[in-house]
Amino acid sequence: MNFEEIEEQDGTRFSWNVFPASRLDATRIVVPISCLYTPLKEREDLPPIYYEPVTCRQPCRAILNPYCQIDVRGKLWICPFCLQRNAFPPHYKDISNTNLPAELLPKYTTIEYTLNRAAQVPPIFLYVVDTCLEDDDLKALKDSLVVSLSLLPPHALVGLITFGTMAQVHELGYNECPKSYVFRGTKEYTSKQIQEMLGLSAQNVRPQMQRPNQPGAPQNLSASRFLLPVQQCEFTLTSILEQLQRDPWPVANDKRPQRCTGVAMSVAIGLMETTFQAAGARIMLFCGGPATEGPGMVVGNELKEPIRSHHDIEKDNVKYYKKSTKFYDALAKRSSANGHIVDIFAGCLDQVGLLEMKSMVNSTGGYMILSDSFTTSIFKQSFQRVFNKDAQGNLQMGFNATLDVQTTREMRVCGLIGHAISANKKSASVAETEIGIANTSAWKMCGITPKSTVAVYFEVVSQHGQPIQHNNRGLIQFVTHYQHSSGQFRLRVTTVARNFADGSSPQIAQSFDQEAAAVLMARIAVFKAEIDDGPDVLRWLDRMLIRLCQKFADYRKEDSLSFRLAENFSIYPQFMFHLRRSQFLQVFNNSPDETAFYRHVLNREDVNNSLIMIQPTLMSYGFDSSPQPVLLDSVSIKPDVILLLDTFFHILIFHGETIAQWRKAGYQDQNGYENFKELLEAPKTDSEELLADRFPVPRYIVCDQHGSQARFLLSKLNPSTTHVSGGMYGTPQGQAIFTDDVSLQVFMEHLKKLAVSGSS
Amino acid sequence: MNASMGGLTNQLNNMNLGGHSQTQLITVNLIGVPPNVGDLDAPPPLINLPPNSSVTQSDKANCEPSYKRCTFNSVPSTASLLSKSRLPFGLIITPYRSLKEGDDPVPVVTDTVIARCRRCRTYINPFVTFVEGGQKWRCNLCFLSNEVPSQFDWDLQTSQQANRWNRAELNHAVVEFVAPTEYMVRPPQPPVYLFVIDVSFPAVQSGAVATAAKTILESLDRIPNEENRTKVGFITVDTSLHFYSLNSNSSEPQMLVVSDLEDVFLPQPDDLLVNLTEARSVVESLLSHLGDMFKDTHTVGNALGSALLAGFKLISSIGGKIVVLQSSLPNIGPGQLKAREDSKALGTPKESALLQSAEPFYKKFAVDCSRSQVCVDMFLLGSQYSDVATLSCCPRYTGGQTYFYPAFNAGRSEDALKFAHEFAEFLASPIALEAVMRVRASKGLRMTSFYGNFFVRQTDLLALPNVSRDHSYAIEVSIEENITTPTVCFQTALLHTTCFGERRIRVLTLSLPVTNSISELYSSADQIAISTLLANKAVERSLSSKLEDARDALTNKLIDILGVYKSAITGSQGASPQLQSCDNLKLLPLLALGLLKHVGLRASSQIPTDLRSYAMCLLTTMPSQLLIPYIHPRFYSLHNMPVDAGTYGPDGIIMPPPLNLSSEKLERHGAYLLEDGQNIFIWLGRQVVPQLCMDLLNVRSYEEVHSGKVTLLQLDNPFSQQVNAIIGKTRESRRGVYYPHLYIVKEDGGDPSLRLWFLSHIIEDRTDTVMSYQQWLGHLKDKVK
Ligand SMILES: [Zn+2]
Ligand SMILES: [Zn+2]
Repeated sequence: MNFEEIEEQDGTRFSWNVFPASRLDATRIVVPISCLYTPLKEREDLPPIYYEPVTCRQPCRAILNPYCQIDVRGKLWICPFCLQRNAFPPHYKDISNTNLPAELLPKYTTIEYTLNRAAQVPPIFLYVVDTCLEDDDLKALKDSLVVSLSLLPPHALVGLITFGTMAQVHELGYNECPKSYVFRGTKEYTSKQIQEMLGLSAQNVRPQMQRPNQPGAPQNLSASRFLLPVQQCEFTLTSILEQLQRDPWPVANDKRPQRCTGVAMSVAIGLMETTFQAAGARIMLFCGGPATEGPGMVVGNELKEPIRSHHDIEKDNVKYYKKSTKFYDALAKRSSANGHIVDIFAGCLDQVGLLEMKSMVNSTGGYMILSDSFTTSIFKQSFQRVFNKDAQGNLQMGFNATLDVQTTREMRVCGLIGHAISANKKSASVAETEIGIANTSAWKMCGITPKSTVAVYFEVVSQHGQPIQHNNRGLIQFVTHYQHSSGQFRLRVTTVARNFADGSSPQIAQSFDQEAAAVLMARIAVFKAEIDDGPDVLRWLDRMLIRLCQKFADYRKEDSLSFRLAENFSIYPQFMFHLRRSQFLQVFNNSPDETAFYRHVLNREDVNNSLIMIQPTLMSYGFDSSPQPVLLDSVSIKPDVILLLDTFFHILIFHGETIAQWRKAGYQDQNGYENFKELLEAPKTDSEELLADRFPVPRYIVCDQHGSQARFLLSKLNPSTTHVSGGMYGTPQGQAIFTDDVSLQVFMEHLKKLAVSGSS
Repeated sequence: MNASMGGLTNQLNNMNLGGHSQTQLITVNLIGVPPNVGDLDAPPPLINLPPNSSVTQSDKANCEPSYKRCTFNSVPSTASLLSKSRLPFGLIITPYRSLKEGDDPVPVVTDTVIARCRRCRTYINPFVTFVEGGQKWRCNLCFLSNEVPSQFDWDLQTSQQANRWNRAELNHAVVEFVAPTEYMVRPPQPPVYLFVIDVSFPAVQSGAVATAAKTILESLDRIPNEENRTKVGFITVDTSLHFYSLNSNSSEPQMLVVSDLEDVFLPQPDDLLVNLTEARSVVESLLSHLGDMFKDTHTVGNALGSALLAGFKLISSIGGKIVVLQSSLPNIGPGQLKAREDSKALGTPKESALLQSAEPFYKKFAVDCSRSQVCVDMFLLGSQYSDVATLSCCPRYTGGQTYFYPAFNAGRSEDALKFAHEFAEFLASPIALEAVMRVRASKGLRMTSFYGNFFVRQTDLLALPNVSRDHSYAIEVSIEENITTPTVCFQTALLHTTCFGERRIRVLTLSLPVTNSISELYSSADQIAISTLLANKAVERSLSSKLEDARDALTNKLIDILGVYKSAITGSQGASPQLQSCDNLKLLPLLALGLLKHVGLRASSQIPTDLRSYAMCLLTTMPSQLLIPYIHPRFYSLHNMPVDAGTYGPDGIIMPPPLNLSSEKLERHGAYLLEDGQNIFIWLGRQVVPQLCMDLLNVRSYEEVHSGKVTLLQLDNPFSQQVNAIIGKTRESRRGVYYPHLYIVKEDGGDPSLRLWFLSHIIEDRTDTVMSYQQWLGHLKDKVK
C-alpha cells in the first residue's frame, strides 16, 4: 500500500488503512482510526466540472461517488451511506457503463465541482498596521504593504486600520483629504458602538435620505467608504501608506509604546462584521510589539515589567493573561462566525502576545508569521507568499469553507484538530467519543489553502459480530464547500473506502502508516497540551506508545531483548521520542509566543512537513561521499563535514571545525581547491531548494562548530553523547551535548522494558 | 459724527477741568413736549473737579466717557443722600474700546517703571499729589505716601534725567503700562483661534460652512499675528468630531474623526493646533476644501458639547479663543439640547424659563474655560430654534460674544455678506488675552454688582480670558462710609496680554467731585450711563425673575427718580398737571420707554425666544455708543432731507437731522430710514413718488417695489448716492463688528410682518400693549407722589 500515492489522489493519510470491524477491536489498536486530510490539495489532473453535484435525498445529502452502486438501466443509484435509492436527474439519461460522468470514475474519488454561484463580494483584505515601530521597521513594513497592493486581484477590496496609542480606520473612499476615524486605545467598544462611530448605522441620517436597499447594490453602501477595490484606491492607499508616520504620542525611556492592538482588532472585526458578514475576507494584523493598553493588553507599558513567560503562566503569576486571552477569544469567536480570516504578522524581537491572540488565527484558518523585524526576509517573503497565485492567476486561498464529514453507519467522527471551528452539525455521523473539536460532523474554516491540512478522528461503532454492510467497507465522504479566490463557489468531494477486518487480522497492523500516525498523535498531544499540564501529556504519550508496542511488537514477556517491531512500526517510537523533546511539548526553552506559533504551524501542515517539525532532517556533506541523510544525533557532528539541518522553522548549515578553518583561510578561492568550493556550495544549493516553497519562510542560519548559532543544531540532536555519558571508553565520537535529556538509546531501552513487562 | 462728538466732549471737559463753573440745574417740563432726540448725542454733564486736582494740566487727565462713565458726575458724600436721590450709582466701563479714525491711541509706558500704592495697589495717576519735594507721592485713593521709584525720572532710551511731568501716567487718564515679569505667571500667551464648525446637514445646506471657511481663508492675513505666534486649529462637528492634522510639512490636511462623544479625546498629540504662519499653506488647503468636504453629508445631529470639551483639551494649556459656528441645535452628546420653545409660553410668566439656560453644561464649561484662559465666541446661524439662551452662557462667562443670524441662508447674498463681514471684522479685531480686571475706588466706595460677559473670580476680580473689542461692563457701586474728601477716584486696571505678546496693564482713572447737595447730584446725572446700567439690571432681573418684574422695576425706578425730583428739588407736592425733570435727565423717560418696548423686554407673545435672548446678550455687552441707538433707533426722513445730507462735510458725511420715533412723522409720500445698529429699514409711504422709486431702487413705481432684505443699488443719481452715503456712514460709525441688514418696508402691499417689525421701533406711538410716549409720561406723572 503506497500511502503517498493515496495522498496524491485524495489528500488523505490514514493512521490505519484497514479498520477493525468492531468497537472493541478498534479501541485496542491504541492509535485511533484517523486521517490527515488536505481538502484543497492541488491535483493537476482534476477535470473541470461545471455542473451541480448529484446528491442523495434529505437528510443524507451524500454526493454521488465512485463507490455508489448504479443501475444504468433503471437510471438509479444507491447511496452507500444511507442505502436509499435515488433516481438520476433527467440530464443523466444517457448514462451507461461506458459513458459515466467523472464523479463515478474510480480515479475521481476526489473531484471538484465549480458551482453555478459566485460570491457577491470579491475577496477583502483589511490591513491592521502597528505604527509603534522603529523607523526602519515601519519603512520596511510600509514598503511591503505597498508592494502587496500590486499582488492583489484588482477587484479585491482593501481597507486600512493603523494603530498605536489609538486605532485609526482610514476612509479610503474620501477624496477631499486623508481621513480616518480614531478610536481611543484604552476603551472596549461594542460592535454596535463601532458601527455607529464609523457612521455605518443610519440613525443620524435624514429620513428622506434613507433608501431601501436597491437590488444589485453592494451589500452596504457606506462600507465602500472604508473598503474599496484596490484598482480604485491604490493611489490613495499608497500615498497614505507612504506618509504613514510613527505613532506620534511620546514614549518615555522607561516605557513601552502605548499599543492598542486589542482595540484595533476589535474595530477591524467590528467593521467587517457590520459591513461584510459572511463575505470572504482577511484581516491582516501587522504588529511590532505587545499590546500595552486597553482591552487585550498583554503587558503594562513599564519596561521594568517583563512580558509573561511560561514559568509565570505555570505559577499563575500573570496579571493580564487570562483577561486578555478571554478578550481575544471573544474576538476570535466573532470573526470566525462572520467568516473572516485573521492573520498575524509579528515583527518583533520580543513577544507580541501571540499566545493571547492565537485563537483569532487558529479558529479562522489564518496565518501566523513570527519574525524579529519587518525588515527580515522571513517577514517580507512570507508575506508575499500569502499572495501566491495558481496557474490561472488566482490567489491560492479559499474563503468561508465548510468541511462536512459523512461516514457509513459502522463509523462515526469523533472530531477534528486543525484551524477550524465547529459548524455544530449534529448528524448521525457524530461520535460520542470526543477528540479535538467534537460533537459535530461539520467544521467551518474561514480561510483555507491548498496546503491546509486537518486531522479527523473516527471511531467504529459496530458491535462485535454485527454484519458489515456495503462490501465490508467503511466509507467516509469529505465534502468541502468554499469560495474560490476567483469568486466562484466550489465543492470538493473526497470519498474514501477502507476495508474492515477482524480485530485479529494481520491486515490491520500491516495497514499502519506510522508517519501519519505520529503526526495524528502529535496533534492530539498538542491539543491536550493546550488544556492540560505538560507532564500529563507526556505521560499520556508514553502510555500510548507502550500500549501500541505491547499490542503490535513481537516479544516474549519480560524479555526486552526479544522485542521486535515490524518495519512499518519501527520508527514510530523514534518519532515519539523526538515529539516528546520537541518545542511543541517542551515549552520552557521557548517563549509562550513561540510555542503558540509552533503549535499553530503543526496544526496546519501535512504529514511530511509535520514530520520534519517533529524530527528534523539532517544531511551530511563530506569529501568522501555524496550528501546523505544522517542520524539526528550528536555522533553526526564531525570536524570535516558540513551538516544541513532542516527543522522546518530553521534551515541551518553547520560547518565542522576543520571546514570552518579552511573556509576562514579562504581555500575555496584558491586554485586546486575546487572540490572544497563545491563542498561549501552544495548544502547552500540544497537549502535554497528547501526555502523555495516553504511557508513561513524559515530562519536561515549558517554557523560553525563551536559558534554561538550552533546551539540551534545542538538542541535538536539526540544527546547520545552528553557531558555525562563520556564513560570509560574514552572520548566518544561527535560532540558532547550539555543536556540532562535522555538519549534515544536510553529511551528505547526503557520502552522495551516497559512493553515486555505488560505494564502501561 | 460720533468721533467728532467724542472730541467735542473732551474739549468741553477740558474747559471744565481748568474752570470752576457749576453745572446749573435746569428744570424742564416733559408732558406735551416732544423729546429732543438730537440731544441723545449730547455729552454727559461736566465733571466739575476742584482746581488743580490733577498734577499736570493735561486735557487728557480725566477719563473720557467712551472708556468709563459714571451714572452721575458728582458723587454723593453719603449713602443716605444716594438713597434719598433714588439715582442708581454705577460705572459703565468699556476698557478695550476700538479706536476709530481720529481717536487718540492709548499712550504706553514702556519703561516698566510702575508706581503703585503700597497699601491699596492703586497705580500712579494724574490725581495723585507729590510731597516731600517730589520724593514721595500721595495716593489719591487711600492717601498713603509712597516712594517715587528711582527710575521714575529717568529716560531709559537716552540714559538721562527726564521730565517727570511728561510721563504719560501723569498726563493721561487712560494709559497702558508694559508689565514687568512680576505680572506674569508664564510667558505671554500667543493668540489662539480654535474654530469649532457645525458641519451637519443644516449647516452645509444653509451655506454656513462654505461661507465661514471662505471668510476665515480670506481673513488669514487680518487675524492678529504680528509676532507670527498665532495658533489656529479646527474641529468640525456633526454626530462626530473631525480634527484636522495640519502638519506644516504636509501639503494637505488630514482629517481625524472621533465619534466617541461621551469620552472625548484628542486623536493625536501634535499638529491639531498649529502656528498659523508655519502651517499657512496647509491651513489654506483645509479652508479652501472645507466648503466641499461635507457637501454630500446627510448627517443631522450635532455634538457641540463634545466638540467644546475636545477644543478645551486642545487649547487649555495655552488659553485662547474657541470660535463656534453653530447652525443647528446640539442634540447629542454632553450638553445636548431640545427644541424647547413653546409658543404658548411666550408673553406669560413661563417665558422667563425659556430665557434661562436649559442645561448647566455650558455654564460649567465656561467656568472651566475661564480658569484656563479660554474664551468662547458663538456664531449662531440656525435656521430653526437655536437656544441662544443656553448657548450664550459660554460667551457670557468667558468674555466672548454671541452673534446670531436667524434663518441664515448664504444663498441670499445679503445674509452671506452680513455674516462674512461681521465674522471677518471679528477675526481682524485685536483682542486682549488672559486678562483680569479690577476696579479700585476711594475709601468708602465698594463695587457690589457686576454686569457683562466675564466671570467674577474673587469678590471683585473679573476674569476675562479674552477682552472683546468694545465690550462694555456695568458695575454698581455702594457707599459704605461717608465720604469726606472733595473728590473720589475710580481706577480700573485691566491686566492683559496683547495679541502681539506683551503683558500690559491698561489703567483707566476717573476722578469725580463729591457733593452733599441733591440738586448738584441731579444736575450731574448722566442719563446715558443710567440707561445703560438700567438696561443691564433689567436683563438681569428678567433672567433671575420675570420679564414683567423687570419692566415693573424699570417703571418704578423712573417714578422714584421723577418723584424725588418733584419733591426734593422742585419742592412741589400733590397732584400737578406737569411732569418735570432736569434738563440732563429729560431723555431718561424716553430711553426707559425704549427699553420697555425693546424686543428684549417688551410684553409680547410674538417674540421668539431666540430673538429675545440675543437682544439680551446685546443689551448687556454693548457700550453706550451702540446701546442708545439700539434702545432708541435713529430715524431720518429721506424724501425731504437737507440738500447736503449724505454729502461730505468737514466732519465726514453729513447726516440728516434725527426725527422723533413717532408715526406722525410718516408722510404718505415719504421715504424714511430707521436704524438701530442691528438693522436698517427704509420705509416707503404708499404715495411715494415714482421718481424716488426709480432713483432709489430702479423700479418705476411703488407697486413694483419688493419689500424685504435687499442690497441697496448704487445708482447714478444724487438721491441714491446720498442714501447710500448715509447708510455707509451709519454702518461704519458704530463701534463693533455689526453690519446691519437693510430692509425695504412698504406702507402697504408688502410683507405685513416686516411692516409690524418696523413699526415696533416707533416707540413714541402707542402699540397694542404699551402706551405712547405721552401716555407714558402721563402714567409716570400719576404715579409720582
Ligand atoms: Zn444517502
Ligand atoms: Zn493707596
